[in-house]
Amino acid sequence: MTAQASSLLAGRRRPVALALFLLVQMFAAVFFVGDAIADVLEGDVGPHLYFEMLVALALALGVGLGALALRQTLEEMKAQDVALASARGALGDVIAAQFTAWGLTPAERDVAFLALKGLDVAEIAELRGRAAGTVRAQLARIYAKAGVSGRAQFAAWFVEDLLGEGLETEPQHG
Amino acid sequence: MTESGSGLSAGLSPKGQATATLPRWDPLLRLTHWGVAGVVLGNYALTKEGSSVHIALGWIGLGLLALRLIWGFVGPAEARFASFSPNPMAALRHLASLARGQAPHYPSHNPAGAMMAYALWACLAVLTVTGILMTGASPMKQAELEAAVAAGDWSAVVEEGGDGEENESPGGEALEEVHEVAANLILLLALLHVAGVAVESRVMRRNLVAPMLVPRRRRR
Repeated sequence: MTAQASSLLAGRRRPVALALFLLVQMFAAVFFVGDAIADVLEGDVGPHLYFEMLVALALALGVGLGALALRQTLEEMKAQDVALASARGALGDVIAAQFTAWGLTPAERDVAFLALKGLDVAEIAELRGRAAGTVRAQLARIYAKAGVSGRAQFAAWFVEDLLGEGLETEPQHG
Repeated sequence: MTESGSGLSAGLSPKGQATATLPRWDPLLRLTHWGVAGVVLGNYALTKEGSSVHIALGWIGLGLLALRLIWGFVGPAEARFASFSPNPMAALRHLASLARGQAPHYPSHNPAGAMMAYALWACLAVLTVTGILMTGASPMKQAELEAAVAAGDWSAVVEEGGDGEENESPGGEALEEVHEVAANLILLLALLHVAGVAVESRVMRRNLVAPMLVPRRRRR
């Protein structure tokens, strides 16, 4: 497979491309089967017919295998979606539980979520209709309750869990 | 019934929210659906009966139907026959609950839609088979005949025993009759199908057309 073809078949458009390919293959299979039957009915039996039957068989097999491949691709994509959704949900649950454990107020929770999503002070202030100074003070309280030095450490608090034992194993391999 | 019962819970997201309740039709299912719709409408409204284009569209329809039927065995859950087995009583119950405005969600076809799908496939099978029996198993015969006539070679017509209606066998007439009845029936069913989708979409405030048009990812 060439690089262009593989990039065309990559990602979310792959099932559509596979389905179109299957469709074309199916039309060809139906054509050859019909033509072979017509030849048999007309008593036109010979090498030509045997070759046509071979082509029809190959196309039919191609359709069957292609259909199985398409189903597999669709199932893999569905599994990825489910895994992504549950990972998202799980991370959200972990964050919410930790906010509760730190004793954040509802307003602080909102600000903390927005900060984790990467919004800066000005953006959070605009979104919540508060003064930038208010948001800065809320962030300071959040960091104090979480016991972190600032935004980077605050975000790292949650990412650290996802990274697992990365820090300890790295030097041994390196 | 257990089928639809377990299917219903499968349609719920892990947190129990009713988010994934509309079916996720895969691309092959969508392609065959709109392909068949195009073939039926095209052969009803655009092509001349018995012309090579009409016959070609019929063969394409047969290919689409065959692919969809294969997909009914090997496709993903919502496309498989096992998830929407024909059940007239369940179909009536669904229509009754729809009339009360309480039609439940189904991960695949609802029972009434399933009956419609099987009826449409049966009609399509009858249409294509009678069409092929009338025109011969070779998809290219009529096209070759027309090409020969267009080139001024009328001998092909004579060889085939004439293209006219005067020397048609009684069996041929019966086939034509069945073909016509099936064609009218499939149009009627298609209208009913569209009406059913429109009514359920409106009454239950769920857009049943969108899942058949675009993948869910882009609708979100």
